Amino acid sequence: MKTLVWVEHDAGQVKDATLACVTAASKLGEVHLLVAGEGVGPVAEAAAKIAGVGKVHVAEGATYAYALPEAVATLVVELMGHHDAFLAPATANGKNIAPRVAALLDVMQISEILSVEGDATFTRPIYAGNAIATVKSSEAKLVITVRGTSFEKAAREGGTGEIEAVSSAGDAGGATFIGQEISKSERPELTSAKIIVSGGRALQNSENFHSIIEPLADKLGAGVGASRAAVDAGYVPNDYQVGQTGKIVAPEVYMAVGISGAIQHLAGMKDSKTIIAINKDEDAPIFQVADIGLVGDLFKIVPELTSKL
Amino acid sequence: MLAALMGRPQGTFASKVEVEGDSVTVTREVDGGLETVKLAIPAIVTTDLRLNEPRYASLPNIMKAKSKPLANKTPADYGVDTTPRIETVKVSEPPKRVAGIKVADVDELMAKLKAMGVAA
Repeated sequence: MKTLVWVEHDAGQVKDATLACVTAASKLGEVHLLVAGEGVGPVAEAAAKIAGVGKVHVAEGATYAYALPEAVATLVVELMGHHDAFLAPATANGKNIAPRVAALLDVMQISEILSVEGDATFTRPIYAGNAIATVKSSEAKLVITVRGTSFEKAAREGGTGEIEAVSSAGDAGGATFIGQEISKSERPELTSAKIIVSGGRALQNSENFHSIIEPLADKLGAGVGASRAAVDAGYVPNDYQVGQTGKIVAPEVYMAVGISGAIQHLAGMKDSKTIIAINKDEDAPIFQVADIGLVGDLFKIVPELTSKL
Repeated sequence: MLAALMGRPQGTFASKVEVEGDSVTVTREVDGGLETVKLAIPAIVTTDLRLNEPRYASLPNIMKAKSKPLANKTPADYGVDTTPRIETVKVSEPPKRVAGIKVADVDELMAKLKAMGVAA
């Protein structure tokens, strides 16, 4: 089977979620990549070095600059003439593009796969991760999104992919990119951080969040997350949210501070290797999944922990 | 998918929507923050959970709605084939996490962190 993986990239770098996607694709067969964007020469070269990559299709053009789904999906459909499966990471951009591709190809998409069980058989979470469904597709072409935390990342070096230019002007189909506000942070990105410190509503306000959670995270070199309650209350921006409707994370260590552990939050972090919970309510559901629990007042515990680190 | 089938632009995960003339400006929630796109109308917009407050149906309207006629149609009436092309082979329970240990104070937690190599 020939697979085509859409490469998500930012500032000349291939994103980690794409590497996990390459691993998933390699379980299906030959891996080809699609790099689309403006000035993507360096990205294409980096992509060709990813272990296990056969061919890198490069589409250069201003239309592709911001991963507008209207343009990228049309391009993917053209390439799908000689590929059997399309894979994209289950990120905001991947989830924007893949369904459009699926509709244009008239196939049913298989979303957020956790593992590859066979040629057309996959597992995927249903009911907010409370059950795992094994699904088998009978489509001629597969359209798949891949949950990045469920696959090992392919090595960035060691591949000898061949770069091939795709000549397609592209058409943004009535969509124009206006601008973006990306929160700048020196901290590691949530979906690829080794350690994450997350805060919940118990922090009471935004100032507490910054003065309690962030120093601890910085000491640990950790990414900062939050529960939906903390985001809804406006303590931190939306992109901090970990959970079913936020980011799905699986760090080595996940530290939940003042988070009770609603099932929707657990859905986003329960694949973490070690979960540490700090909460004053000893009956909080978070303690049922935590490897290490500490019952007590976070306003005392966290500063003490930070100072001792 | 609808947008693709109609060949129209799409704005997904919208947290803000503004219509101006024959286009709509959609602010989208993306992984690292916000992104704004301008789409020619008609466009398909899907919403993020914080876009707005839902309108709840009022009781008088619920009563009124009961008397409205309902037309029951099958997908076949519209010439649509809804046969699933993905088969669910089995549904299983995800691996369960078991509750771990509880530590009494920060020092004990520190010791555990050190043992894991997280803290120096």
